[in-house]
Amino acid sequence: MSATMDVKIEDGKLALTEHEGVDGWDASTPMTAVGQPATRLEGIEKVTGSARYSYDVRLPGQLYAAVLRSPHPHARITRIDTSRAEALPGVHAVISSANTPQIPWFEDSFVFDTTVRYVGDEVAAVAAVSDDVAADALGLIEVEYERLPHVTELEAAIRPDAPKLRDSGNIAGEPTVYDRGDAVAAMAGADVVIDAVFTTQAAIHNSLEPHGCTVAWEGDELTVWASTQSVFTIREDVASGLGIPEHKVRVIKHHMGGGFGAKQVAWKNDIIAPLLAKRAGRPVQLMLDRHAENLASGNRPPTRQHVRFGARSDGTLVAIWADIHIGNGAYQVGGEASNVSGMYQSLYRCDDVHTESRTVLMNTGPAVAFRAPGHVESAWVIEQVMDELARRLDLDPVEIRRRNYSPIDQVEDKPYSLPDGLAYCYDRVTADFGWANPAPPAVAGSKRRGRGFAAHDWAAGSGHPPAYAFAKLNPDGGIDLVTGTQDIGTGTRTGLAQLAAEELGIGVDQVRVQLGDTASGPYSPVSSGSSTMASIGPAVRGAVADVRQQLLRLAAVKMEVAAERLTIVDGRISVIGTTDQSMTIAEVMEDVAPANLLGRGARGPNPSDVSIRTFGAQCVEVEVDTETGEVTVLRVSTAHDIGRIINPALVDSQIHGGITQGIGFALTEERVVDHRLGMVMNANLEEYKIPTMLDVPPISHAHVDVPDSVANITGAKGVGEPPLIPTAPAIANAIFDAVGIRVHDAPISRQRMLTLLAEHGQSAAPEVAR
Amino acid sequence: MRPFAYERPESITVALSRLGDDVDGAAVRPLAGGTDLLTLMKADIVAPHTLIDLKRVVELDDRIEMTAEGMTIGALATLAQIESHPDIVGSYAALAGAASQAATPQLRNMATIGGNVLQRPRCWYFRDPQISCWLKGGDSCPARDGENAHHAIFQDSPCVAVHPSDSAAALIALDATVRIRGASGERAVSAGQFFALPTDEHRLESVLGPDELILGFTLPAPAAGSRSVYLKAMDRKTWAFALVGVAASVTVTGGTITDARVVLGGVEPIPRRLIAVEELLHGSVPSDDLFRRMGELAVVDAQPLSQNGYKVDLARALVTRALADATAPAG
Repeated sequence: MSATMDVKIEDGKLALTEHEGVDGWDASTPMTAVGQPATRLEGIEKVTGSARYSYDVRLPGQLYAAVLRSPHPHARITRIDTSRAEALPGVHAVISSANTPQIPWFEDSFVFDTTVRYVGDEVAAVAAVSDDVAADALGLIEVEYERLPHVTELEAAIRPDAPKLRDSGNIAGEPTVYDRGDAVAAMAGADVVIDAVFTTQAAIHNSLEPHGCTVAWEGDELTVWASTQSVFTIREDVASGLGIPEHKVRVIKHHMGGGFGAKQVAWKNDIIAPLLAKRAGRPVQLMLDRHAENLASGNRPPTRQHVRFGARSDGTLVAIWADIHIGNGAYQVGGEASNVSGMYQSLYRCDDVHTESRTVLMNTGPAVAFRAPGHVESAWVIEQVMDELARRLDLDPVEIRRRNYSPIDQVEDKPYSLPDGLAYCYDRVTADFGWANPAPPAVAGSKRRGRGFAAHDWAAGSGHPPAYAFAKLNPDGGIDLVTGTQDIGTGTRTGLAQLAAEELGIGVDQVRVQLGDTASGPYSPVSSGSSTMASIGPAVRGAVADVRQQLLRLAAVKMEVAAERLTIVDGRISVIGTTDQSMTIAEVMEDVAPANLLGRGARGPNPSDVSIRTFGAQCVEVEVDTETGEVTVLRVSTAHDIGRIINPALVDSQIHGGITQGIGFALTEERVVDHRLGMVMNANLEEYKIPTMLDVPPISHAHVDVPDSVANITGAKGVGEPPLIPTAPAIANAIFDAVGIRVHDAPISRQRMLTLLAEHGQSAAPEVAR
Repeated sequence: MRPFAYERPESITVALSRLGDDVDGAAVRPLAGGTDLLTLMKADIVAPHTLIDLKRVVELDDRIEMTAEGMTIGALATLAQIESHPDIVGSYAALAGAASQAATPQLRNMATIGGNVLQRPRCWYFRDPQISCWLKGGDSCPARDGENAHHAIFQDSPCVAVHPSDSAAALIALDATVRIRGASGERAVSAGQFFALPTDEHRLESVLGPDELILGFTLPAPAAGSRSVYLKAMDRKTWAFALVGVAASVTVTGGTITDARVVLGGVEPIPRRLIAVEELLHGSVPSDDLFRRMGELAVVDAQPLSQNGYKVDLARALVTRALADATAPAG
């Protein structure tokens, strides 16, 4: 096989398909670098504090920016006077709708719009010699607002008489409707029907590093050090906003303190900073503080899901029906959609499915993808309903899921690339947890213990073209690997180095990975959808395979054997099956030094005849104190079909982080809005409670580690999002097991748990779903 | 944060006179650990032009000393010192427990006990500079009909914020005395009298004058047979202010309760001493049934707001549990 490029016309357009030019690894391929728990390449930089983040950039003459944000949830700006701010010593630039061209941003609005639609919407910005001066200057900007009626509550926003954010109303676009068979008719044939309303809360990403960037102009060229999941998206959007060619904008991201989906689009700070820098003639840094971060840089939208699930007495589903509302906030910002409907259609075998979903505008900060967008929200419902069905039918919660197993993607009508993937997860996680063993004593004083199970699928995770990589073999045998992807803290650098080392037959320490820079790296897609490794990994293999082929040609001439007879192990080139004649890579290259061997790799197409998904399942054990409402998660077991595990240590890190976020979503995390004022009350880390170390129990990851050889030539899929998806419903199911209370509304706060315990009486019999 | 001057006097006379220069108590403020004051300044809730750092004042100290009469604790003792001091852990467990369950190790290393009891409420309306509230001098309380899940369940003040200090409840339960120094000399106030519900005329949570400083706390020697405990319910396992906290100190002599002090935190703008509970406990024989009835009595006057009825259940449960813990057989 060798790299090829296919060009044809499809639907009247050019269609370009490239191939990596290398055979796929399968389960029997021996591996040396891949599969090892290699230490993060940037680990020492991070733990010693020398890793440089966007915030750490310091340039001569650099200014610091601050943004004036709307104090009102909905208003028209009738006057802005920035003259007092401009006169403050140390202030170098002030921009607002009064002195800045209208640059389109977010749907039909502008970077500085004269209508503000949520508390936190951008009104003006200042660049000054320090953060303090910039903050003082904000206080000197005079703005007059004409207040408009507002609505910040999902249920209120869909009422006919609700204040409207757009002339067309608060439902954005047309409802998304999906039908397979006839769910309403089929429901009539069910032996048991669960009909219930569930809600999920608005959650905030709370990346340790907030959104922001540092920017500098040199002539007409702009450099942006951005905290982003997509250097190429920032480049495209900033260039377009400024009306300059893309090659005049260079976007760099070395390290990142978390994104979780919120940094996959360009936000207004990415365009405000260059505008300020241009006006001031100086570099500008614009990093959000925690308050702004939690108001105005995205959230997981609240949902209301009314569902009906019908099943026969043997547990098989006959119909699924779901009516979904998603509280999007003031603007649709793009990026991954929050596909709440998806898992209703795919996770379990069912011929008759109806979903309809409406995106609701309201006067709150805009929603954006948040780690498994839509799936976390729908898993909360689907997996509790499946648990409820199992209890009504006196079935084991795992058994009812096995009885509804689907080896095919029912939406695409294609088999899954790994049809047994979810079954592997069921097997591994129940064995690891001891699901079949008798439960330990459930009652001790006021405390009750319970166990819960939940499963999931995830639509992405397989990656996609286009994505490119270059490999440069140096005369000393080391490799420079260059791609335009980014490491958003997940360990992409290290995983790619392992792939390159494996492909060439060298050590991981012989590879340097250069990424996160649009000026040097070829295009690579946004790091979202758990698809980074599966998108760029195959391209990296292709680039290194290209180098390897060239190297073996040189070695073949020098060693006077056919290139096909040569192999590379531990950096030594030898004839397959013999040991008498071998040379190091450097010994081959030294004759031609300083020549380099240059390789190019391009991500090949996904197979068209299968559907590629990731799957997972979790078991949790909880303890509920029925007197104090305290919920303690005692342990979690988890198993995931994520294809080949390239680095088990990094995968375990993703598992731990995801489940930690899932525990927060289940128990403590919720954006609180005073709907009278339209204001967020807890845009901080004090009252918005993310889990602490003490909230996180031991987490056991039962590795599935079955390469998905059909998915791509590495066999690896993605792990970033999956571990979060089943955690909250697994906890809710365990709470039901413990105290017999079905919690429909997330999160299960102290307030909610105690209120429900009081409503049900503390030793209530299991409730039937409402 | 607005610019301010920073002074570091070495004499309490100088410190008090600088505080006395400021008639309304807003412009010159004392600084100890700063863990609350700096957050108030950053949020623009207070804007003093001068901070008087107390750390170098020779008359103020962080000494913790056990004597025959009891325990003295200097106002500058940190929560970290208090939670780990063997005599406090051994004889005043409610205070050690309260200190150890506050905030985080980093904050406890900075926060002083004097400042801890003077913390302002965490009410999110009070803490938001864009929102007018009664406690900040406004006309009405936005929390009363607003997002009040964390707010007061007893309604004896126009303010429905709750007192944030864990240690304050413990000090009252341990019958501590607050030693106070002003320009005219020293005075002593019992911890129970030190806190006062905010009124229209005095929108603060203590009787400490703007020109006064806390010197320290004196705790009586524990009676034979006395035990104390502090229980705290939070929204997560640690690093949160109390939803409800309870400090209880109980003395059992010959199988009968001879003294009891029980204080709820997190239920109104100041710690709430449960006098009726204490009186009924006196002379009673400890039993689960007695403690359950005391839990009921603790909340009999509760008037929860729209979102915080659960705190009544929590207070009832914690009072019952604290009394059981404080009287459980040792070991």
